[in-house]
Order: sequence, then structure tokens, then C-alpha cells
Amino acid sequence: MSAAGCESTTLRHGRVSLVLHQLSAGDGTPLLLLHEWRSDAHSWEGRVDAWPGPVHALDFGGHGGSDPLRGGAYALELFAADADVALAEIGIAALAGAGSGAYVALLLAGARPEAVQGALLWPGAGLDGGGARPDFDHPKRPWRPAPDAVGPPDPWLVETPGDVRPDDYAEAFGRAARRLLLVEDGGPRPPWWRAVARIQGVGTTSPDEAWTRLAASLGG
Amino acid sequence: MSQPEPHYPGAVPPERQHELVYRGLRLHLSEWGDPAAPPVLLCHGLFDHGRGFDTLAPRLAERFRVVALDARGHGESSWADAYGWVTELSDVAAAVEFVGGPAHLVGHSRGGGQVTDVATMVPDLVRCVVNLDGFGPPAEGASLPGGVPLHLDAPRRLQLFLDRRRRAASRQGWRPYASLDDLVERRRAQNPRLSPEWLRYFAYHGARHSDDGWRWKADPWVAQGVGPYRPEWIGPLWKTLRAPLLAVVGTEIDTWGPLPEPLLAERLEHVSDLHRATVSGAGHFVHMEQPGETADLLLGFLPR
Repeated sequence: MSAAGCESTTLRHGRVSLVLHQLSAGDGTPLLLLHEWRSDAHSWEGRVDAWPGPVHALDFGGHGGSDPLRGGAYALELFAADADVALAEIGIAALAGAGSGAYVALLLAGARPEAVQGALLWPGAGLDGGGARPDFDHPKRPWRPAPDAVGPPDPWLVETPGDVRPDDYAEAFGRAARRLLLVEDGGPRPPWWRAVARIQGVGTTSPDEAWTRLAASLGG
Repeated sequence: MSQPEPHYPGAVPPERQHELVYRGLRLHLSEWGDPAAPPVLLCHGLFDHGRGFDTLAPRLAERFRVVALDARGHGESSWADAYGWVTELSDVAAAVEFVGGPAHLVGHSRGGGQVTDVATMVPDLVRCVVNLDGFGPPAEGASLPGGVPLHLDAPRRLQLFLDRRRRAASRQGWRPYASLDDLVERRRAQNPRLSPEWLRYFAYHGARHSDDGWRWKADPWVAQGVGPYRPEWIGPLWKTLRAPLLAVVGTEIDTWGPLPEPLLAERLEHVSDLHRATVSGAGHFVHMEQPGETADLLLGFLPR
């Protein structure tokens, strides 16, 4: 990897601006990194070794240098659209996501199999979501961040990641995706992850081998 | 060409207007009646606006302080960067606090679903709920104007949503219509039961005129149609509804309702204090088609 420093580009998604960072340069398949809940692109620094292509990392709306959403309504499908705007900028790529970003990577890999060569799913903050269906016995209460909370990340991100993630919904994206590689370290995984892991052809990897396994899976 | 404000029999413009700033958005409220009377909050449907209550609200105002909310992205309220069901329930809850709950909640179509859900979220702020044909889409889902078709599988629906979001940066709003009559015709094609006279009044307040023509005030992005949401979750979510619910439908089959009776009964089966009513001679837009009958029904149900 040549040192490209950390260049950043501003992208337009709807009415907000998003910051896409380039962490390193290279000649192979680009890699797009999707951070965990209430984090930002910098959380990936030093985590990616041995990637042959350029490495990009996005700040989702409401995170890092990207604009907060006026009125909120943060949703993981909307974060997938943030990531898709980045994909439009960098072209056919591999994805890696952590926590809620892993779920976003799954959604995007399933919705754009022609543009996402493969996706690596890491655990992290926001991995679980709010279960396979709403909690019918305990209605949601209106969210209220602490009155003195300031961003980034946007304090109103309290409205995620309690989103519902049905097994068969996650599975539909898992089946539509071209290549998925799940990082397993013996830690607990939510039902949607286990449903995806059961799909034939979905691979698993240890954390140590994750990047080389992802790169190798694209080489064939 | 600008246009004089149309009149419609029985329609009374709001006596007072308010703005509530919530999460960086200006939420607009229209008010009728004695400010000291007990409050009723009215919530309109998708792509509608609070002035659609101009014939119902003055009738309710004989007894109540009546406040109609323009939902985010609708009427005089701000366009938001994004829209989502649960987030918008918080908007409604903020409006209930603004009017000084506990309040009666009345909603039509999407607004009916919202007020019923909100009553489960903030039970201490809600007295009674009236839902005017807002019991969710049919079992197979409904494709909303501006949303993606729901019959497709989830990855394909998300792909269409992503395509639209990519195009969205270059297309910030509606194309203009040449005249107010064009807006009326457009809406009439969707809702043929509504009279041209009423639609003219309704469209006038739902649109803005500028040099190049007339544009809807509603944000074209208010409907999304992606995500794992399922209509069969609606009924179970109303298990925790404590407030008395008056569920109202019209007798006439219409574009967006009512649901077939067995499905409607299923949606309502978990409601503990359920009251049902039908309004004859009305389709989906119960209160717009039969404002007098609807008002009588509500005045009979809502205690002072």
C-alpha cells in the first residue's frame, strides 16, 4: 500500500453532505469500510492490513464529518443509501462493515450484487438490532437524548439501532449477495447473523485472516 | 397566474396558527375554538395536510380546542432530510405535548395509524382515539405514491430505493403544474370520490404558486416503502392500547380503503376498549366526504 495519507471527498446524498475518506491507495479492487454505530471512518485506521486496492471509509449521516439529518429518522436502509452513494463514486468494490455497519453491508451487498464483489461482516456496536419482530408487549417511548448531549455523532442516533431485523429479511439479502464472509471470534451473534451464516456458500473467517480471506475470495 | 383563495361550503380557515420547532423542523399547527376548551389533535394522511380538516374542525370546535398538525414534509411544516414511521410518531407526541395533553387524538388514514400508535407510546397524554380508516395497508402491502412497489422481494425493493436516492441529489422537488386545475385533476384521478369543488379548495392549500406554476407543498420523499415492516404487526402492536378507540370506516369502496371486514376485524382484535362506526356515503376520506356526520359521531364519542 502506498501512503495516500487521508484524503477526503464530499458526496451529496439527498439534502445532506457525506464525507468519504481514502485511507490508502492501491491498484486492486477498492474496499469500502462502513463503521459501527456512533463511530466514524477513523475507527478503521490501523485495522486493515494487506489490502491490494484503494481503501475508502465512509462517515454515515450524523457521524464524523458528515451532516446530521435535520429531523433525524435515521434508519439502516438509509445508511445503505449513504454507502451506495459512496459506491457510485468509487465503482465496483468490496465492502467491510462493523456492527450496525455490518448489517448495512449485508443490505447493500444483497441489493447491489453487480456492484459489490464481496462483503466482510465484523461484530461491533449496533450488531444486534431490535430483534426479529417488534416487542408487542412494550411499546416504544419517544426518544429523548440527554439535554446536554452534543454531536457528532448526532445525539438523536438514539433512535437506532433498535430496528427490527427479521431472520428471513436478512436471509433474503444474504442469498442475493455475491460473496459474504462473516468474522467469527467465538463471541455471541444475533439471530439475523446466524440466519445469514446458515446460507450455503456464506463463509466464515477468524479475525486474523479476515482481510486476506476477503481479498482471496475476490481473486478467483 | 395567481389565484384567489377558493371558498367551500362549511370550510372555516383556522382561527390561530402555531409553529413548534422540534428536532430542527418547524411543525405547523392550525387551531380552531376556545383555547381554554379541552384539546383535540387532528392528524392528516399521507400527501394531505391540516387544512383538509377545515370542514370537520369548526364543527368539533363547538366543544373543543381543535388543533391540526401538518406532519413533517407536509403543508406548512418543514421538509426533513428523512422520514420514518417511529420518528414521526415522536413528532405527533411532541404535538400532543404542545397542545397540552391529555388530549383526544383523531387521525385519518396514515394519521389514524399514527395516533393509534402514539396512544400506546404516551398513554398518559391521551384520552380517546378516533381512527378514520387508518388501519394499515392490505395484507399484501400497498405501494404508496412515491414509494417503491411492495410486491417485489426486499433486496429488489432496496435496489429501487437506492436508485431513487442516487437520482435524488439532482431532483430536489416536484415539477410544476401549469394551473391549479391540473393539480385538481391529478388528485381526482387518485381519489375520484372527492368532488372537484372540494379538491380545488384542498389542492389550493396543499400547493404553492410561483412564477413557473403550481407545486405540491408535500415533500416528494415522504413515502419510502423500504425496510422490514409487515402489515401483520399492526394488530399485535395495538395490544397495549389503553385509551378507548373509535374505529371509523366509510360504507363505500374507495381507492385506499376500507379493508375487507375480516382483515379489519383481525387488525382490531387486540384492542381492549373498541368502538366501531361506519359513515354512510363516505369512502376513504370519511371526514372530507361527510363532515357533518363525522363531526356528530365524534361529538357523541369524545367526552368534554
